[in-house]
Amino acid sequence: MLAGFIIFSVVLSLCIFLFANPSLNKVLSNIFLVALLALLVFAYLHLGAIDSLYYKFDSLGVLLSLVLGLLSMATFYHSKLYLKRHQFTAKQEAIYYTSLIMLVTAMISAYFAENIAILWVSVEATTLFVSILIFHERSKEALEAAWKYLFVSSVGVALAFIGILFLSIAASGSGITDLSLTHLLENTHQMNPVWLKMAFVLVLTGFSAKMGLFPLHTVAVDAHTVAPPPISAFISTSLMNVGFLGIFRIFTLIAQTEILQWAQNVLLIAGVASVFMSAIQLMRIKHYKRMFAFSSLEHMGIVALGLGIGGLGYYAAVLHIVFHSLAKAGLFYQIGQMYQFFKSYWIKDAAGYFKKNPIGGLSMLLGIISILAIPPSGLFVSEFLTFKAMFLAHHYYIAIFVLLLLTSIIYTFAKNAFHLLYDEDSKTQVIEDVKTNPYETISQFILFGLLFYLGINPPLFFTDLINAAIAVLN
Amino acid sequence: MTYIFIILYAITLIYFALSERVKKFIWLLTIQGAILFGIVFFSLNEIEIFDFVFILVETILIKSIVVPRFLNRVRKHNNLKREQEIFVPVFYSIIIVVVFITLSFLLSNSLNNDQIHTKYFTVAFASVLFGIYFIIIHKNIFSHVVGYVIIENGIFLLSLAVGSVMPLMVNMAILLDLVMGVLVLGVFVNRIGDTFDSTETHQLSKLKD
Repeated sequence: MLAGFIIFSVVLSLCIFLFANPSLNKVLSNIFLVALLALLVFAYLHLGAIDSLYYKFDSLGVLLSLVLGLLSMATFYHSKLYLKRHQFTAKQEAIYYTSLIMLVTAMISAYFAENIAILWVSVEATTLFVSILIFHERSKEALEAAWKYLFVSSVGVALAFIGILFLSIAASGSGITDLSLTHLLENTHQMNPVWLKMAFVLVLTGFSAKMGLFPLHTVAVDAHTVAPPPISAFISTSLMNVGFLGIFRIFTLIAQTEILQWAQNVLLIAGVASVFMSAIQLMRIKHYKRMFAFSSLEHMGIVALGLGIGGLGYYAAVLHIVFHSLAKAGLFYQIGQMYQFFKSYWIKDAAGYFKKNPIGGLSMLLGIISILAIPPSGLFVSEFLTFKAMFLAHHYYIAIFVLLLLTSIIYTFAKNAFHLLYDEDSKTQVIEDVKTNPYETISQFILFGLLFYLGINPPLFFTDLINAAIAVLN
Repeated sequence: MTYIFIILYAITLIYFALSERVKKFIWLLTIQGAILFGIVFFSLNEIEIFDFVFILVETILIKSIVVPRFLNRVRKHNNLKREQEIFVPVFYSIIIVVVFITLSFLLSNSLNNDQIHTKYFTVAFASVLFGIYFIIIHKNIFSHVVGYVIIENGIFLLSLAVGSVMPLMVNMAILLDLVMGVLVLGVFVNRIGDTFDSTETHQLSKLKD
């Protein structure tokens, strides 16, 4: 099924690229979305089944792909609005849709990859397609960000590949002849811990560029800043989830061995460093998209902390990554609309948004409440569980330090958010005759509403998927 | 015979360190591709036609012909002749590459694992380290792509050291990804050259807080 879906997507993309017809783009992208939803239903109904030799519909893959499916619908819709506003040529539009479809396909391939090498290939493919999308506006900044993202991610992913080779050295000692996750999991107890440690550090470093986690987080931040808003929404959600998944897969192997404690300490360091870097950078932030980008760094730090603590932290980490995707995507879609009123993402240029666009302002306010993990945001639940796990595991100093950093982040974030929503800044340039689509905030309200609902009353299938995803860790 | 090719590969790394002409970088990549073919060919215990064709395509066709020719076109497009500025003088670079090779040799000797072919590991590790070093010391993004290809060649040797456990289809997907990576990087180098009138890294510093 999955191999068929990939071939189908490639054919659709080629048709879009070759014909470069705006009407055809819309029809074919809608067909792609229908095929994607059909695949997701199939995957959910065949949970745990092996597919197309190298893929498996496991719980974590299904959970993250459901999030991707939801965000894909919103991203395609907002992409349509974005392309309409900017008057690109038919060829540029075709390249946009081709890259977007291939990006979603590569992410789906990464989520369901049962073979570590296929996972790596899919991650590398996401880098190529997202770089083209970052460069879409053809500006100098876009070129700089696309180059940095492509180059640093490629080097990072190359390091991750060395990690995978080291993993295969560790595996070959126990007679494993492929890099199938199932086979690796069955034989972890025979693996050489030194090779496993080196593999984990390299994979963590390499995929940190994708996850937007310390140390290679900087390229993701630059990419957020200049990418078209619907693509920024993808980079900071589903694409970061790909990086998380890559690290999580190797971590599940480590969790079966004696070096689990060591790996958790590494994750704690990466997590604290990420939240720390985010807090420092946010203090001097001058650009709204960069502000949201550094907020992603903070949230990925919290996810790493959850994995690093273990126990309840595992559940909190997976919950957090799902909730962060819903909140951050909604914010980036909204910022795309906000741009129409100010024609700038600089904080000094944008103020009084609530007065200019009350519905959009309300959506932005809900998004900010959500991302700052203020109740009833679901992120409050996942962060609460993370800190509960920290205190239960007696990591008091880390918990207090991170809480202090979060206080600083909330302060700077809220200060800029209030400026955007309520300030009456005379220096703000006035853009006349702003045309917005009255329906374009609906997707944001749905995402924030879903975030509140899942936080307060998570349905059984949702918690079952998370519990099944982390069962292998406990 | 394999050892001779491994030594030749190590010598190419030293040549990279003392070269300043961009054209020479491309020549060295071509030679590295041919050396990699020699290393794999003389390591085969028995020749199976599919494996042989794949290796031929991967080393000679891709690494020795397609990638260098493409990079040469990028070089001509951007009128690149000589690396004007490098962060570290050539003399120190030669010392550093020798240190990398020695370190890599000592590390390989200390590995006591039946699953690793340490002879490949010696030069593979040095190649990855040198590729990263090459990227750091050069200010031109074209040289960064060359450094990336050196890392990829090191990874290729590392996969030989580990002993391939990946099926042919997976290997082909990996190769396709890497080739696409180099091609897209090359296209971006051209774009940067056209937009900024230079491929120096200091041009790429607009994105900051």
